[in-house]
Amino acid sequence: MPSKDFDKLRDFLPLSLRRNAFAQGVLCLLPVMKSEPLQPKESEPNSTGALIRLVADLLENGDYGQRVLEVDSDNVRILEMNGALSATVPIAEIHNARNEPVVGGGRLEITTKNGEKLALISYTHTIAARFSEAARGIEQLAKGEELLVNLKPQKTHCEKCKRLLPEVDGVCPACVDRGKTLLRIARFMLPYKYWAIALASLAFLTTVLNLVPPILQGRLIDEVLQKHTNLPLLFQLILIWVAIALTSSLINITRDRIVAKLAGSIAADLRATVYRAIEFLQLTYFDKKQVGAIASRVTTDTDRVWGFLVEGVPYFLLNGLMLIGVAAFLFWTNWFLALCILAPIPVIITIAVRFWKPMTQMFYKVGQKWARFYIHLNESLNGIRVVKAFAKEDSEFDKFTRRNMELREAGVKADSRWFTIFGGMIFFSSLGTIICWLVGGAMVVRKELTLGEFYRIHAYLALIYGPIQWFAAVNNWFSRAMAGADRIFEIIDMEKEAYLHDNGLKLDIKGEVTFEDVRFGYDKSNPVLRDINFVAKPGEMIGLVGKSGAGKSTTINLIARFYEPDSGSIKIDGVDYREIELQHLRRQIGIVLQEPFLFNGTVAENIAYGKSDATMEEIVEAARAANAHNFIMMKPDGYDQMVGERGAKLSGGERQRVSIARAILHDPRILILDEATSSVDVETEKQIQEAIGRLVAGRTTFAIAHRLSTLRNADRLIVLDRGKIVEVGTHEELMEKKGVFHKLVETQSEIQEIIGFDLGQAEAAK
Amino acid sequence: MTTPTPENIRLFHEPRDVLRMTVNDEYSVVQVEPRWAAPLSHPGQLLGLMNSKGEEVMLLPKVASLNVQNQEVIQRELDRRYLTSTVHKIVSAKVEFGATYWTVITERGQRDFVVQSLQENAQWLGERHLVFVDIDHNRFEVPDLDKLDPQSRKFIDSIL
Ligand SMILES: Nc1ncnc2c1ncn2[C@@H]1O[C@H](COP(=O)(O)OP(=O)(O)OP(=O)(O)O)[C@@H](O)[C@H]1O
Ligand SMILES: [Mg+2]
Repeated sequence: MPSKDFDKLRDFLPLSLRRNAFAQGVLCLLPVMKSEPLQPKESEPNSTGALIRLVADLLENGDYGQRVLEVDSDNVRILEMNGALSATVPIAEIHNARNEPVVGGGRLEITTKNGEKLALISYTHTIAARFSEAARGIEQLAKGEELLVNLKPQKTHCEKCKRLLPEVDGVCPACVDRGKTLLRIARFMLPYKYWAIALASLAFLTTVLNLVPPILQGRLIDEVLQKHTNLPLLFQLILIWVAIALTSSLINITRDRIVAKLAGSIAADLRATVYRAIEFLQLTYFDKKQVGAIASRVTTDTDRVWGFLVEGVPYFLLNGLMLIGVAAFLFWTNWFLALCILAPIPVIITIAVRFWKPMTQMFYKVGQKWARFYIHLNESLNGIRVVKAFAKEDSEFDKFTRRNMELREAGVKADSRWFTIFGGMIFFSSLGTIICWLVGGAMVVRKELTLGEFYRIHAYLALIYGPIQWFAAVNNWFSRAMAGADRIFEIIDMEKEAYLHDNGLKLDIKGEVTFEDVRFGYDKSNPVLRDINFVAKPGEMIGLVGKSGAGKSTTINLIARFYEPDSGSIKIDGVDYREIELQHLRRQIGIVLQEPFLFNGTVAENIAYGKSDATMEEIVEAARAANAHNFIMMKPDGYDQMVGERGAKLSGGERQRVSIARAILHDPRILILDEATSSVDVETEKQIQEAIGRLVAGRTTFAIAHRLSTLRNADRLIVLDRGKIVEVGTHEELMEKKGVFHKLVETQSEIQEIIGFDLGQAEAAK
Repeated sequence: MTTPTPENIRLFHEPRDVLRMTVNDEYSVVQVEPRWAAPLSHPGQLLGLMNSKGEEVMLLPKVASLNVQNQEVIQRELDRRYLTSTVHKIVSAKVEFGATYWTVITERGQRDFVVQSLQENAQWLGERHLVFVDIDHNRFEVPDLDKLDPQSRKFIDSIL
C-alpha cells in the first residue's frame, strides 16, 4: 500500500485509537514482489517496492509511539512517523537478523557481515511475533532466498465499536451477535423440542389458572359476603376454586418434572460438547490457561447457559404475556386506578437499570476475592507438608486471615449495597399497594368501585410486580448466560488438532523420522528450536543430549505432534506428518514422559491404558520388560493396587517404570523415552536398559537421558545446544571429536567422582 | 585474573550496540547483559552482569556503586532490555463481558489494554503491589497502590 493511503487511513481513525491501532501493527504490507532499484531520499521515504512494512509501538527513547520498519529488496530501513529516516542497513551487508526477546517485548537485532551488531527497533510483546517473522524475512532476503513470511494484517480492534479486542483476530464481546448466540444455544433444546413446547404450554396454563381465583374471590365478596346471602353460590364457587387448585397443582408438578428432565439433559449435553471440544484443543491452549480455568468452562459456564435455557427462556415469553395481559385487564377494569397503581413502576425500572451495572461489578469483585482466597487455601493445603516442615503454620494463618478479611469486606460491602437497592425496590413496590388502597379505597367509599372489583385489582397487583422484578433481574441473568455461552462457543469454535480430518492418510509406519529445517517456539517470537535437520532411520536408536533447557523435550513434543513446527517440516516415512491422520499416527508412537502421569486406578489399568483389551499375561510381560513386575508383586494387591491420584502412592521410580510398561504394551513403531530412567538407581536402570535394549529392536527410538552412560547403546547421538544441533555421531565418534559432548561427559564424570560414584569403575567391575 | 568489582570495571558499547566490560584493563568480557535479580520485588537492587553464555560475571548490589560514566552506559542498556511499564495513573477501567478494559498513563505514555480473567492476570506481589498482564503478555506494574491518585485507586478498588 502506498504510504499516502496509510496516512489517510491514519487520519481517518479517531484520535484515541490512532496510537494503538498503529502501535499494534494493524497496518502492514504484504510482499509486493517487485524489485526496482531505489533511490531512498530522506524526504520521501515511502517509495514503492516495500516487501515488508511493520509498525512498531515504541519510540527510540522507549515511549509509546510509532516507528516503521521497512524492508525492500535492497535495504532495511527504520522510519519515524514524520517521515524522517533514522537507520538504513543494506541487505547485502546483513549476516543475520533476529528478534532478541527482552523483558516486556523484543528488539530487532541485525548482525552485519563485518560482525557489527545493530539493535534497530524495539517493540512490546503485542507485535514481537510479527517482528520475529520479519527478521526471518530479512534473513531470507539476505541469503538471496525467496521471501516466505506470513505477515498478514492483524485485527486488534473491533471494526464496529473500535474497542480493543481481548484476543488478536478474536471476536469483540460487545459486538457479538446476541441473537445468533441465543439461536445457537437454543439449538441445544432441539432434541427436546416437544418437551420444551410442553413446558411452555403448561407454564402458560398455570398463568391463566392463576388469574382465576381473584375473579372467584371478587364474585364471592360482591355476591355473597356483602349481600349476606346466597350460600349455594358460595359452595359452587368454592368447588370451582378447589378444582382449579387441584389442576394447577397437578400442572405444576408435571411442569417441574419436565424442568428437571430438560435441565438434566441439556446440562449433560452441553458439558459433553464442551469436554469433547476441549479434548481436541491444541496443547498451546493448555500452556496458556490454568487447568482450573478450563475446568470452569465445563462446569460454571455450562451451568449458566442451561439454567437460562430451561428456567429463563420459557418464562421470558410468559412473563411478558402475563405483564401485558394483566395490565390490560387492570386498565379494562378501571383505567384510572390502574394508572395510579402502576405509577411506581418506571421508578423501579430506573433503579434496576441504574444500579445493575455497579452491582454486577461489585459481585464480580467478590468473585475475585473468592478466587484469591481459594487459591491460597488450595495451595497451603496441598503444600501442608512443607508448611509443617518449616513450622510456618502461623505465617500461613496470617496470610489466610488477610485473604479472609478481604473477602469479608468485599462481601459485606456488596451485600449491604444490594440489600439497600433491593429494599428501595421493595419500598416502591409496596408503594403500589398503598396507592391501590388509597385511591381504590376512596373509590369504594364513593361507590365508584365494588369491593369485589377492588379486591381483584389488589390481587392482580402482585401478578404485575412479580414479573417486573423478574424482568429487572433477567437482564443480568441474560448477559451472564450469554457471556457463558460465548466462552463455550469460543472453545467449540477454536482451532482443533487435526484429529478430525478423516481424509488423513492411514499410514502403517515403518519408523523413519525426518526433520527438515524445523523451527519452533512455544512463543512464536522466541524460537526454542532452530534449523533442526536429521534423519532417523527405521529401527535406529537416537539419543538426544544437551544441557537442561536445550530443547530435548521440545524435539520429542514435535515428534509426537503435540506441537507443530513453525516452519520447516517433519516427515515420517517420507510423508509430511501433517498428512497422516493424527490419532492413527499417535497410536504408533509410545511415549514415556519426563514427568510420568498415572491415572487414579489400578496398576494394571494404567499399564493397559493404551491397549484396553490387553490380557493379564500381556500386562505382566510388559511390566517384566520394564522391570516393574517385582515391585508390583510386592504390593498387597499386586496389579490391582490403586496408584492414587496422579500415581501419588507410588515412588518416583515406580511411577516411571509403570509408565515404561505402559509404553511397551502400546507396542509403538516409534518409542520416545524422555528421562525415562532418571528416578531409578543405577542397578535398576541397567536392568531396564537391557529390557529396553531388547524392546527397541526394530523400533525407532528417541531417548533422552542426563546420565550419559545410559545412551551408550544409542546408534547415534544428537547433541543440542540452545535449540540447535551442534554435533551428531556415535558415542565413540563424539568422544574422539572432543567437542561439546566430550565436555558434557567429562563434567559429568567429574561430578560423579565427587559424589563417590565412578562410572568407569562400575563399568570395569562388570 | 582480577575479580571484577564496581571500582575496577569499565563498561562501554563497542562495537555499537554491544556492551563490553573490561576489568582493570586486564581482560574484557564482550556482550555483557545486565539483568535485574528481582525487578519487581527489589527494583533498583542486585543487578547481575551476564556474559554471552548466560553465566554471571558479577552481581552489583546497587547501580549507584558504579561511577557516573558506567552508570550511564548501564542505564542505556537497561532501558533497552526492560520494556515494562509502570502505571502512574489510571484514566479509565471497566469490566465488560468478563474482560477488563484499561486506559493507563505510564512512564512511556498512554496505553489501552485488555486483561482477561483477572484472577490469573492481575497478580498481587505484595499487599499493595500489583501487576497486570494483558492478553499479549505485556506487563503493567503498579508498585504501590497507595501512591496512586485517589481517582486511580478508586478504579482499582472497584474492580479488584
Ligand atoms: N510449555 C512451554 N511453554 C513455554 N516455554 C517452554 C515450555 N516448555 C519448555 N519451554 C522452554 O523451552 C526451552 C526448552 O525446553 P525443553 O523442555 O525442550 O528442555 P530440555 O532440553 O528437555 O531440558 P531438561 O533437560 O531440563 O528437561 C526451555 O527454555 C524452556 O523453558
Ligand atoms: Mg526435558
